[in-house]
Amino acid sequence: MRAVHWWPTLWTGVWGGLMALERRAFLQAMVSRPLVAATVTGLINDDLRAGLYVGLVFELLHLGGASLGGAQADHETLPAVTGAALAAEMGETFGSDSTPAMWALAILLTAPTGWLGRLLEKRLDERARRYYGRALSEAQEGQLARASRENLRAMWPQFVFYGLLCAAAAAAGPLLARVEHELPLPVLRGLGWAYPAMAAVAAATAVHGSHAKGRYAMAAASATAVAGVAFAAWYGGHPP
Amino acid sequence: MTAAPARPIPRKVAWRVFWRSLFLQAGFSPEAMQTLGLLYALAPALKHLYPDEAAQQEATRRHLTPFNTHPYAAAAIVGGIIFHEAKVARGEEPPEAVTRFKATLMGPLAALGDGFFWLSLRPAVGVLSCALVPVVGVFAPVIFLVLYNAVHLSARAWLFKEALGYGEAVVVRLQTAKVPMWSNRLRLVSATLAGALGAWLALRFGALAGGALSVGVALASLGIGVATVLAVSRRWSPYWLLYGLAGAAVAGGAFL
Repeated sequence: MRAVHWWPTLWTGVWGGLMALERRAFLQAMVSRPLVAATVTGLINDDLRAGLYVGLVFELLHLGGASLGGAQADHETLPAVTGAALAAEMGETFGSDSTPAMWALAILLTAPTGWLGRLLEKRLDERARRYYGRALSEAQEGQLARASRENLRAMWPQFVFYGLLCAAAAAAGPLLARVEHELPLPVLRGLGWAYPAMAAVAAATAVHGSHAKGRYAMAAASATAVAGVAFAAWYGGHPP
Repeated sequence: MTAAPARPIPRKVAWRVFWRSLFLQAGFSPEAMQTLGLLYALAPALKHLYPDEAAQQEATRRHLTPFNTHPYAAAAIVGGIIFHEAKVARGEEPPEAVTRFKATLMGPLAALGDGFFWLSLRPAVGVLSCALVPVVGVFAPVIFLVLYNAVHLSARAWLFKEALGYGEAVVVRLQTAKVPMWSNRLRLVSATLAGALGAWLALRFGALAGGALSVGVALASLGIGVATVLAVSRRWSPYWLLYGLAGAAVAGGAFL
């Protein structure tokens, strides 16, 4: 068992900060979507599977979310990166891969950071007013290049704050692993059961978030088909 | 075939503007929204079009008013602004033509971009990639990025190039792409794949975690998915459902 794993913690912080920028400030090529950002976080923390499966749940949970007009959606990147870092570091603490119980615990603990991330984003947007004010006065003074560069200055606080939160999650992994290690076996079994339950909740939320007309009928048809095939295979001795 | 239009700015300057337009929302604030980003993107073009400093300042001031649209569709507005600014610089148009172009297009392009990219393409590619996790594992995120960005980056580059060359004629060209039809199709793909994936996740991880009770846990997880669809459709919070049902699963695992 080991204490905080400093290099992965540092890189998780850098990655988390960059992802916060990619999510809105620069490019928006969806590298910051939960499935991608969490998988890379898993890679950084030496447990790809943890990143992939934590990211999958958050991807589905936030699938239909979008900031439209004045309404801001929950931050999907922050829970994905912090959740993947927490789960991967929990497994790493005891020198093994993480388990579905660890993924479930990490998801339960980091899901509210979506809301926290949205609040932080709102605060940083308020703070960005000062850059606009500065740009206006610089433009009045004829310093046009300086005025246009004010746009980039607003990125620093986002990188720093989100990066720190992500690094903190990676650093908390070993501590949480010790707590999880002390849990009674039935509770651990229950946490293992919680992962498929949460995945089902996330997928159902994704059906709703698809915004399609007739989405429930289409989803019911495809779910019935998959369940039918899976149970037929199970009956034939091949569990899903 | 339409003849290639005269380029309003050199290729190198156009590339700089396009690159800078990728930072459109860096300085986003509630009042100015994307104004700082627009100013940052336009700066190299304005410098080129107005060698006279006073004229350059006047042009810059035209773009200090609040601006907001979809970040990808903004490529069309940035390109179109340069198309019109070049005409203003040549004395072929009054400066109001630029502000009118911007004000007319930012709303409709925002609605089009939100509807297609945020509410259709992203969910469809996201759920498709999640559905591919059982088949391709960690390559699913790579597939997500390749599929999404094949559309995203080509759309951004095309919109910029067309608007730079033809101004508001880009709207007519955009109509031929039948964006609303594709949006509806993509949304149906998302719903279908999400249903299938939900069933697979519930059965696969339910069977893995259930031990002697594997069939029961798998069926219960499937039932949770169905119940959640009903609850979410009645506007229940997904967070409450996540915690409530995870709590029930933990209790079930602990006491059964």
